[in-house]
Amino acid sequence: MSRLLLISALRHLHRHPWQSWLSILGIALGVAVIVGVDLANQSARQAFLLSAESLTGKATHQIIGGPAGIPEDLYRELRIEQGLRQAAPIVEGLVKLGAENLQLIGVDPLAEENFRHLSGELAADAARRLFLEPASVLLSSITASRLGVAADDNLTVTIAGREVTLQVVDLLEGDNPAVLEGLLLADISTAQELLDSPGRLDRIDLILQPGQAERLADTLPPGLHLEVPASRTRVMMEMIDAFQINLAAMSLLAMLVGAFLIYNTMTFSVLRRRQLLATLRLLGVTRQALFRLLLLEAALMGLVGAGAGLVLGIFTAQYLVELVTRTINDLYFVLTVKQLIIQPVVLLKGFLVGVGVTLLAALAPAIEAAGTVPVSALRRSQLEQRVHRGLPWVGLLGIAALLLGWLLIAVSGNSLLAGFSGLFLIISGYSLLVPPGVALLSRLSNRTGKRRGLLVRFALRGIGANLSRTGLSIASLSVAVAATLGVSIMISSFRATVADWLAYTLRSDIYVSAVSSRASSSDATLLPETRQRIQALPEVAETSTGRRVTIQSRHGPVDLLVLDFASNTHEGFKFLEPPLADLWAGYQRGELLLTSEPYAYRHGLRTGDPIILDTLEGPLSLTIGGVFYDYGSDQGLIGLPASAYTRYWGDAAFATVGVILQPGVEPAAATSAIRQALEGFDQDLRIRSNREIRDYSIGIFDRTFAITQVLRLLAVGVAFIGVLSALMALQLERTREQAVLRATGFTPGQLSRLTLLQTSLMGLYAGLFSLPLGWLMSEVLIEVINRRAFGWSITTQLPVNAVFEALLLAVVAALLAGLYPAWRMSRVSPALALREE
Amino acid sequence: MQRLAVDISNLSRSYREGNRSHPVIRNAEMQIQAGECVALLGRSGSGKSTLLNLIAGIDRPDSGEISIDGERITQLKEPALTLFRRRQIGFVYQFFNLIPTLTTRENIALPLELNNCSIATMPKKVAQMLEAVNLTERGDAYPDQLSGGEQQRVAIARALVHRPALVLADEPTGNLDQAAGENALDLMIALAREEQSSLLLVTHSLTVAQRADRILTLQQGQLSEQGAELAW
Repeated sequence: MSRLLLISALRHLHRHPWQSWLSILGIALGVAVIVGVDLANQSARQAFLLSAESLTGKATHQIIGGPAGIPEDLYRELRIEQGLRQAAPIVEGLVKLGAENLQLIGVDPLAEENFRHLSGELAADAARRLFLEPASVLLSSITASRLGVAADDNLTVTIAGREVTLQVVDLLEGDNPAVLEGLLLADISTAQELLDSPGRLDRIDLILQPGQAERLADTLPPGLHLEVPASRTRVMMEMIDAFQINLAAMSLLAMLVGAFLIYNTMTFSVLRRRQLLATLRLLGVTRQALFRLLLLEAALMGLVGAGAGLVLGIFTAQYLVELVTRTINDLYFVLTVKQLIIQPVVLLKGFLVGVGVTLLAALAPAIEAAGTVPVSALRRSQLEQRVHRGLPWVGLLGIAALLLGWLLIAVSGNSLLAGFSGLFLIISGYSLLVPPGVALLSRLSNRTGKRRGLLVRFALRGIGANLSRTGLSIASLSVAVAATLGVSIMISSFRATVADWLAYTLRSDIYVSAVSSRASSSDATLLPETRQRIQALPEVAETSTGRRVTIQSRHGPVDLLVLDFASNTHEGFKFLEPPLADLWAGYQRGELLLTSEPYAYRHGLRTGDPIILDTLEGPLSLTIGGVFYDYGSDQGLIGLPASAYTRYWGDAAFATVGVILQPGVEPAAATSAIRQALEGFDQDLRIRSNREIRDYSIGIFDRTFAITQVLRLLAVGVAFIGVLSALMALQLERTREQAVLRATGFTPGQLSRLTLLQTSLMGLYAGLFSLPLGWLMSEVLIEVINRRAFGWSITTQLPVNAVFEALLLAVVAALLAGLYPAWRMSRVSPALALREE
Repeated sequence: MQRLAVDISNLSRSYREGNRSHPVIRNAEMQIQAGECVALLGRSGSGKSTLLNLIAGIDRPDSGEISIDGERITQLKEPALTLFRRRQIGFVYQFFNLIPTLTTRENIALPLELNNCSIATMPKKVAQMLEAVNLTERGDAYPDQLSGGEQQRVAIARALVHRPALVLADEPTGNLDQAAGENALDLMIALAREEQSSLLLVTHSLTVAQRADRILTLQQGQLSEQGAELAW
């Protein structure tokens, strides 16, 4: 490529610093969002995998207990009677330090030797104290330095609601201190004492020789399972897959908006240089050379933007990783990630996406540039005529892309990736329909605008007459605003659906529950007398009980929702399709079960289908009596009556008592009475009113979507930059036209007003065009994406304020973007502007 | 016998206006000898620019042949035509068409660089040309820092620096005052002679046309060589 052509291109970028830097900023933000989300996701996964790996150590198999854990005697039996010397018992629990969760692991130091080296080289005194002193623990060295804790310090924590002072006898270094973040290690008996689970183990790690596993699996008592650690890790990873894919897709949305910005900038760059490009063609510069030149310019912006995006992305990730971890903790499992793991492959991916999308977005303008006719360039009017002639084709292409997107969604089954591809096709198709739409709208408004003042007429005509630029700007602003509207409708519909579900599903006035110290699920239970004591109170009309436990089924581990109904509990279920006719009678007899919508969706089950569960008495086949709406777990639930659970799993414990009050009794007064009645019980309780649980749940919902909101805001940021850049380019490019107006008698004030009026009108057009697309996007997000990712049905609700916000956002963004050009227009010397041209 | 720089035979070009075909050039015949300066005179809308575009290879005729320096450009495909234009044709336009992001020196060097002129000889050729158009002092100025006359002199230098077989000049004085116009015209004709390039000067001004060796007129699509007075 000619050196002078390169110099010319670079100087062009330098001479239009605002546009160049705004584009670079847009690319940088797009890349930052992608890299930020990716790094946060990968850090969470990596932290989980590394910590799972270091905690699993060399174990080839693990014995996993059911809801009641594993009796300690089994461990002795394995070692002594079965001669399995390579076995190590594990007790796991949660410890709260302020708002932070620490993971308490109880191990038998003597059995650990063959499995893992968590503690590294401990001082002999520390090992002795760990055995002998009560509440003595080892704390991760990274966590200790973060918390400012040293060896021999005391640490006051909360375990299952009880305040406990732990003695940190030494710090854990291990082979890789980073993977031990948030870990407390104790002797197994200390851990059992702290977690109030004497004689109970959560897991037994084993190193088995080939053939031993099959024999052992056959001899295990009912309710216990032998698993390969990797499959357990995989199951947990799959739980967060959908959540992480959704985040990644949201980040791509920001990049898509960024792509519009780049496309805009490059198109304007070609349009404003059409005379120059024609001259170059005249001088013998080939089409290919012009094409390469334009792509090179784009690549340069892409490289700088993507490079800056990586740095911004790392900063963004520091913040996002906390949000991601919080959501995983709220919804899936306990995870401590305090350190961002910067993987070069993530950075490389983000960088390539940034440069790739930039080049892709610049492709059409580069083709346009290469097609420049070497006659002195087309006159503006000819160019606009050509654009108007091409509108029907653009419209048809848009309709084709929309149909293709719809078709892809319709035929792609449950594929989330195809769902997102369809969504992006729909967005692209719609954006192609915007320029023809603007032409139509301009024609209509020109008719009505005839009776209006001069400025309004000028502003209205200007939009239609300069469609080659205005169409683009309005389309990109529409897409950006629609994206925020679509996500907004999705979140508010989801929130309203969950609020509605909470209102009908929570049938009791007060809930009394046991505080859990377990890491995996809320399997702490209440003392059996709790229910009787509550039931005996005069304030109480009725009680129900509930518990969630994890058991095995043919479809892998599944959460059981075990309920002992009050008279109104069944009113808390709403079904997707009509349930079986004798549902409640069959359910109470233990012949029918219920499945939540996500469970049925994930496993392709319907009402009337059988499900096989592993009970203490062997496999049990039950029929699905109904599929109910549930938003409490995206992994899904199976509902069983307490009587059936007790019968098949030999466990009558419950974790929650639902209390229905007598008419007229205030929840606050009843709560005091319940507290009084349960005083003296040696258990940690949480008593919450219906209202408090609803607020708490909605709080978790809002926390879950906090990251979505952050990504939405970032997408709006990119969109705003895009609009600013496009409108500035549009107005600055019309300097000569404005100079002619100045020369023919327009005052600077009139010109400023004209510019602002026109950009506001464009904003209004964009706002109006964004409404159908926003609605369409929300429908796809709700009906396709959410359903495929989580299996939830959401009732669409159109929030009126979101519609007004979208319109306001479009107009304000356009108005703000028009300020600088308006100011510049009012100051430009007409003579100079005319001469410069 | 002298070499022919331009040889046009039986050239026709028409444009469609709705359903009607509107002929602009009809069966034109024209020859320009190497080093000759020919003026093409005609009123606005007579088809002068169309003929110029056809000769430059940036428009295609409906029928007929155009040969430049022995090469039948009507037979060339687009990429070959571009490369041919790069080597053999120089352009001077009414509105200068300089590259605004290149300095005077760089604008003049551009055709040399596109023609892969050696880096060793390029600065010397550019310096000579700058001196020839009397702009040595303005070598580092950008086009928007030059007067109209200076810009046209840069355009002339750019058109001739790579010694093309043919220089096409479309109303080269149309955007200049009389003095600057005459100056530019003198310079262009002198330099074309010096570089042995043929010059086709398209103009509607009889005064400008009279500076050429020969005057061709274009009237209603018909090209003829006759007394300029008759044509005007």
